Amino acid sequence: MPSPRYTPADIERVTLVLGMEIHVELATRTKVFSRAANPANSRAGHGEASPPNTLIDPVVLALPGSLPILNREAVEMSMMVGIALGCTIAERTKWDRKSYFYPDLPKAYQISQYDMPLCFDGAIDIPNCDDRGEPDPMLGFARIGIIRAHLEEDAGKLLHELPASDARGSTRIDHSIVDLNRAGAPLLEIVTQPDFTSADQAVAFARLLRMICRFLGITEGIMQKGHMRFEPNINCIISLKNGRTATTPITEVKNLNSFRSLKGAIEHELREQPRRWLEDSIEFGPGTKTTRGWNDARNETFLQRSKEDAHDYRYFPDPDLPVLEIDDAWRESARASIPELPISRLWRLRKSHGLDAREAIALVEERPVAEFFDQAVSRASDAGVPGDRAGRLVANILLQNGAKRVNERTTEQPTDPSEREEPDDESSTLTVADLGITPAAVGTLAALREKGSISAQSLDILFGLLCDPAHAGADPETLARERNLIIVRDDAAMERWCAQVLADNAPIVDQIKGGKLQAIGRLVGNVMKLSGGTADAAQVRTKLLDMIGVKE
Amino acid sequence: MTPPPSDPAAPPVTGAALAARIRAGELTAVAATQRALAQLDALNPALNCFIDTFPDQSLARAATIDKARADGAPLGPLAGVPIALKDNMCLSWGRTTCASKMLADYRSPYTLTAGQRLIDAGAIIVGKANMDEFAMGSSGESSFFGPTRNPLDHSRVPGGSSSGSAAAVAADIVPVALGSDTGGSIRQPAGLSGVVGMKPTYGRVSRYGLVAYASSLDQIGPLARTVEDCALILETICGVDPADGTTADLPAPSLLATLNDPIDRPVIGVPKQAHDPHNHPGVVNALGDAIDAFVRMGARIVEVDLAHVAHGIAAYYLVASAEASSNLARFDGVRYGHRATLQPGDELLDLYCKSRAEGFGPEVQRRIMLGTYALSSGYADAYYNTALKVRRLIRRDYDSAFAPNDRMGTPACDAILMPSSPSPAFKLGEKTSDPLAMYLEDVYTVTVNLAGLPAITLPGTPTTVDGVSLPVGMQLIGRAFDEPRLLRIARMLELAGGNRP
Repeated sequence: MPSPRYTPADIERVTLVLGMEIHVELATRTKVFSRAANPANSRAGHGEASPPNTLIDPVVLALPGSLPILNREAVEMSMMVGIALGCTIAERTKWDRKSYFYPDLPKAYQISQYDMPLCFDGAIDIPNCDDRGEPDPMLGFARIGIIRAHLEEDAGKLLHELPASDARGSTRIDHSIVDLNRAGAPLLEIVTQPDFTSADQAVAFARLLRMICRFLGITEGIMQKGHMRFEPNINCIISLKNGRTATTPITEVKNLNSFRSLKGAIEHELREQPRRWLEDSIEFGPGTKTTRGWNDARNETFLQRSKEDAHDYRYFPDPDLPVLEIDDAWRESARASIPELPISRLWRLRKSHGLDAREAIALVEERPVAEFFDQAVSRASDAGVPGDRAGRLVANILLQNGAKRVNERTTEQPTDPSEREEPDDESSTLTVADLGITPAAVGTLAALREKGSISAQSLDILFGLLCDPAHAGADPETLARERNLIIVRDDAAMERWCAQVLADNAPIVDQIKGGKLQAIGRLVGNVMKLSGGTADAAQVRTKLLDMIGVKE
Repeated sequence: MTPPPSDPAAPPVTGAALAARIRAGELTAVAATQRALAQLDALNPALNCFIDTFPDQSLARAATIDKARADGAPLGPLAGVPIALKDNMCLSWGRTTCASKMLADYRSPYTLTAGQRLIDAGAIIVGKANMDEFAMGSSGESSFFGPTRNPLDHSRVPGGSSSGSAAAVAADIVPVALGSDTGGSIRQPAGLSGVVGMKPTYGRVSRYGLVAYASSLDQIGPLARTVEDCALILETICGVDPADGTTADLPAPSLLATLNDPIDRPVIGVPKQAHDPHNHPGVVNALGDAIDAFVRMGARIVEVDLAHVAHGIAAYYLVASAEASSNLARFDGVRYGHRATLQPGDELLDLYCKSRAEGFGPEVQRRIMLGTYALSSGYADAYYNTALKVRRLIRRDYDSAFAPNDRMGTPACDAILMPSSPSPAFKLGEKTSDPLAMYLEDVYTVTVNLAGLPAITLPGTPTTVDGVSLPVGMQLIGRAFDEPRLLRIARMLELAGGNRP
C-alpha cells in the first residue's frame, strides 16, 4: 500500500469528466430478431405484466436450428433517434456477436454492433438549466457530442427468489430461475462524448433525451420498468496547489434507472474519487477502469468488478445476419417521420409565446399535449386572438382548466403506487389531450375569453362540458348561449343583482366599509351565482365597490 | 393393391421413377415405404446409418397419400418417396440429436423449412440419419451413437459428416436423403459411398431448423443415386425463406426442365492444384477418365490456378471452428440438452464446464477450443481475421476461373472439375487418432464452402483396393446461383461415365 503523499488541503480544485451510455428499450411490436411480442410495448400484449417465459419462441430460447431475423421497425426507430441526435446514419451496418456465458443470455452471446454502428458522430445542443433545474433555452445551450448509437438485444432476467404472485407464502428458493420475456427486446445504446460538466447537466440531458425518445414514439420510457437505463462513466481531474494535476481512473456505474440515482451516483463519485486517490494514488491508465453498482438505500456506489476480471467478449460478425444497406430513400423516410422536437418547441414557446420555462416544459413534455397546444393556438389565432395573446390564453386554459381535470381523472383511477414514487418519472399517460375536448374547442374558448364574451368561471364550466362525450364536437359559443354563460352586458340586471346581494348581506357590507376589503369576495361570488355565471367577476367587483362607496 | 415382390437383383429405383410409378398407380406409397422400412430393418443393424426411425408415422403418411390419389387429389412431385434426413435437422417429432450426447434426448418443437417443403411435396421421412457429432468429422466416426459403415465394405467408413445419409442411399434403403455440407460433408461421403451429392450455392436453401455448425458455410443439400434426383430434391427445397435472412431473394430455378439439355462445348476448368502428388492412384486415374470423358463430349479443358487452395484447410478450420465455438455456446445445460449432476459446493461455472465436458465428444471440444482461441482478444487478428483474408483470396481465385482470362486467352469456365477427396474410403479407425490427417480429407471440398459456390460430386471410375472395388468421387463446381448449368454438366458426365461400382 503506497503511503499517502497528499492531503485534502493540497487540492486546489476537482474537475468532473463525465460521459454517458444510455440504453433505451424500443417499443417495437416484436423483438429485435424474432416475432415474439416485445415486453417494452404494452400495446403488443401484456407488456412487462406478462407471465414469465410467455413472450418467447425458438429464436428467443436459442433452440437449436433457430435463426435471427432483423426487425426493420427497430432499425427505423433507431434511425429516428440517431437523426434527432444529429448523427450520421450508416450506409452499411452489421451485427456482431458478443460472447459470454450467463443463464439470462440464451445463445451465450448477445447480438450487438461492434465496429459499424447504425448511427455515429452526432451532437445535441441542450438548454442550460435555470435555478429550479428546468431547462431554459433562453439561458443558452451546451453541446453534448454523441459518439454512436447502436442497436442490440436485451438479456432476460435471472431471479433469486420467486415472484410474489407465485410464492404461496414464501418467496425463498435455493436456486435461481430465469425469465426470458425480456430476452431479445430491442435496445438502443447511445454513447456520448465526455462533455458533461455537472451532475445536474447530465440529469437534464437524460430527461431531455427521454422526452425526445417518447416524443418520437420509439419507447414508452417508463423508468421503473427499465425502459431507459443510464451508465455514467466518471472520473476527475484533480488540480493540486503545487501545480500538478492527477487524473483518477474511470468508474462506470451500471444500470441506473432513475434520474435521482443518476445524479446521486455522479455526485458520489465526484466526492469519492479524490478521496480514493489520496488513499491509493492510483491514476487513470490501462487496466484501471472499474465497474460499480448503485445502492439506492445507502445512496452510494459499490465495486462490482475491476478490469482484471473483465470478459473477453470475442466479438465477430454474426454470420446469420447479412450486412444491412441503408439507402437514401429509407433514411429520408425516417427523417421525414420526425416531428418538431421538444427542444425546438421549448425555444418557440419561450420566445414567441412568452411562456415561462416551467410552463413551456409542461406543454412540450408529451407529444399529444404539444400538438394539442399548437392546434388550439392556431384556432384561437384564426378566431381573431392576436398572436402574442393566443399562446398565453391557450397555455392558461391547458395548464389550469385542463390540468385540474387531468388530476381529477388520475386520482379516480387506481394507479400502481410503485410507479409514482418519483415525480419526474410520471408514468401515467393521461394528458389534457385525452380529456375529450378538442383543440378547436380550446382555441374557440380562448377567443371567447379574449373578446370578453365569457367569464373565467364560465370558461371552466364550458371546458368541463366540452370534455363530456355528450357535448363532443359542440360549438363552444352555441353551448355558452344555451347555458346562458355569455357575459351579460345588461347594466340593469347587474345593478339589480348587486343591489339584492348588498341588501341581503348588510353585516358584510359594514365590514367592508370598516376597511375589511377582502370580504368583497363573498359578495362577488353571490352576484356570480345570481347571474348564473354570466357576469364578469372583475366587473361585478368594481360595481359592488362602487355601490358600497369604497375605493380600493 | 399388393406391392410387387421385391427383387433383390433389381436395380435400385430412383426417387423420380418411384414418384412417377406412384403417380401412375403402378405402385402404392405404402408399398414404397414398406420396402424402405424392410431394407432399413435388414441393413441398419450392420450399417448403423439411422439414429431414429419413424415406421408408424411413415406408413400412416404413405396411406394418406394413397388415399389422396384414390380420391383424385393432386399429388406433390415427391409423393410417396421415402427419404432420410441427417439428424442435425429439426423435426417436430422424434429426436434431433446431432449425434451428440448433448442432445441425445432433445425434441424440437418445430420442423426445419427444407423438411417442411419435402413433406409438402409428399416425401415420406422414414428416419433420421447418423452423422459425425454436430457435423464435425469426415468419417462418421465421431457420432455418439457409434460409427456408420460403408455399405460397399463394412470395414470402411462411408465418409462424413453426412455418413448415414450417404450410406442409406448407397445401401438402397432410401433413394434420396438430405445432408448438410459445411466443408464437404455431403460431397466427400457421396464420393466415398458411390452416390451423387450436391451442395447448393450458399443462400440457396434455408438453414432454418438446421442445427448450426458454421453458419457462413453450412448448406443443406441432397444425396441421391442420380443427378436427376438431386435436381428433383433441390428444386423442392430451395428458395428464399423469411425465417433465414441469409437465403437469397432470387426466383427458385427450374432445374429439371433443362437437365437433359447438354451444354455445347462446355469449358471445364481443371485446377493445377487437383494434380496433387498425395492423391491416391485411383483418384488420379478417375480424374483422368473424367477429363477424357469431357474431351470426348467436345468440352474444352482449361487449366485454372486456384493458388490459395493450399491455404484452404487452414482458413476453413479457423473460420468454421470460430463460428462453431459461438454456435455451440448455447448448449449450456440451462434450458435443454445434457445437464451435469452437480456436487455440493458447485457453482454456476461448474454447471457450464461439467455439462459441456460431459455432453460434447472430443472432436467437438477440440473445435470449440480452437475456435475460442482464434477469436480471443490478441489472437483474432493473427488467426480469425487472417483466415477471412484467405477466404476472400480463395473467392477471388474462383471468380477469376469463372471469368474469361485475357492474359491466358482462356474463356470463362462453365464448371471446375476436381476430385471430392484425395483417396477412396478408408478403414474405420485409420484416421481417428490423427485429426490433421482427417482434416486433409476435406482439401478439395472446403474451398467451395469458403467461396459459397454450388458443387456436386458424382461417382467417377472406381478403384480396386485390397480386392474390393471402391467408388471415387468426382466433383464439379459451378458459378454462384447457377445450379441449372452445373446440373446439366453433371448430367453430361453421368451419361458418359456409367461409373457405379
